[in-house]
Amino acid sequence: MFRYNINFSSPVPIYQQIILAIKLEILSGRLKTGDQLPPIRELAKILKLNPNTVAKAYYNLEGEGFIESKRGSGNWVNYKNIKLDSLRKRMLEDEFRSFLESALSLGATKEDIKKLIEKDLSHD
Amino acid sequence: MTENILEIENLRVKIGRKTILDDIGIQFEKNESVVIAGRNGSGKSTFLRCLANVIFPDRGSVVYNEGITKEKIGFISDQISLFENLTVEQGIRFHSSVFHVEDFDYTLINDLKFDLSQKIKNLSAGERTLYHLSLLLSQKPEILLIDEIIHTIDPYLREKFLEAVIELIDRCQTTVIMINHTFSEIEKIPERVLVMEKGQFILDEKCETLGEKIKSVVSEKETPEEIPYIFKRESSFQKEYFIYPFKEEFKKTFPYEYKELSLNDIIKAFVGGQYVKEGN
Repeated sequence: MFRYNINFSSPVPIYQQIILAIKLEILSGRLKTGDQLPPIRELAKILKLNPNTVAKAYYNLEGEGFIESKRGSGNWVNYKNIKLDSLRKRMLEDEFRSFLESALSLGATKEDIKKLIEKDLSHD
Repeated sequence: MTENILEIENLRVKIGRKTILDDIGIQFEKNESVVIAGRNGSGKSTFLRCLANVIFPDRGSVVYNEGITKEKIGFISDQISLFENLTVEQGIRFHSSVFHVEDFDYTLINDLKFDLSQKIKNLSAGERTLYHLSLLLSQKPEILLIDEIIHTIDPYLREKFLEAVIELIDRCQTTVIMINHTFSEIEKIPERVLVMEKGQFILDEKCETLGEKIKSVVSEKETPEEIPYIFKRESSFQKEYFIYPFKEEFKKTFPYEYKELSLNDIIKAFVGGQYVKEGN
């Protein structure tokens, strides 16, 4: 199921962490349109969360157009109308910005960061 | 949209000359899960006992919604006698006849794999709790009051306990109010946190927005009066203030580095005993 662990010592609200986890599953291709998400009660039991928290995450994902909730049959992945590439780009930008912030707070210069990125990218 | 299930007004309890609960007014909603944290002797257990109608207040009222009868209020504590000389099986039968339970659910009891013919007084602390919980579940409680019991259960039974509570929250829209000393990694159920200190609630917030409402600031000097804090932690080289309620405009006027805290940090700060609350 989820590769992403819910981090309870993080100040990020748990339902937002679930939303992010499912988006990452979709972006990585592990969840595809037509896949069924675990029922709210089951996911709550696995992660030891309040079912209302899981329901809120699903509700928000449905609002954003990532999943579809069918009465009586559960929640299904359906992101037909979402442009995954632009989502990926947006999330990458966010990640990069937070990396940049910590790097700069370490006292790194722009040159240091550029070198490091080029070195690591050329390695694989 | 949300409906209150329980309203408490001007609740006061004194034991001898000591005021245990000091004029508490608070409401609880249907289907919400609440954790009450606080130091030893702050009044948490007394408060829960008032909700369970086990003790009666000196003043004020505890009013449940219409239709919530005594069997719809479940109270779990390690100090409750459970007809100790009965066997588990006799206990279940007795309970079912008193509360007119026709379809007792043995799932939890079966999960525990314990002998139904042993006496209740011989169960371990964790087994007792799960036995008691399964009795309460059969009444489909509208409200479940859990008094500091989770830490007495071993990790395996704790999982079973939490799963049963999660199932109840989802199936019966039950309101859960629990007291916890140690906010350990496993208790992610609460949506609202209350902190009690000297018989009053000094904090009452939704867990989700708690991070925005409380921030900490590390400073060598006293923080200005305009910034309210609920407690501070002092060491020989720094002072850490827990700002509450935090407002965005503080950032402009007082350029500190405001640190975000998790629910865990906050609860630990309160109950860890290493923090000094200041009457500012």
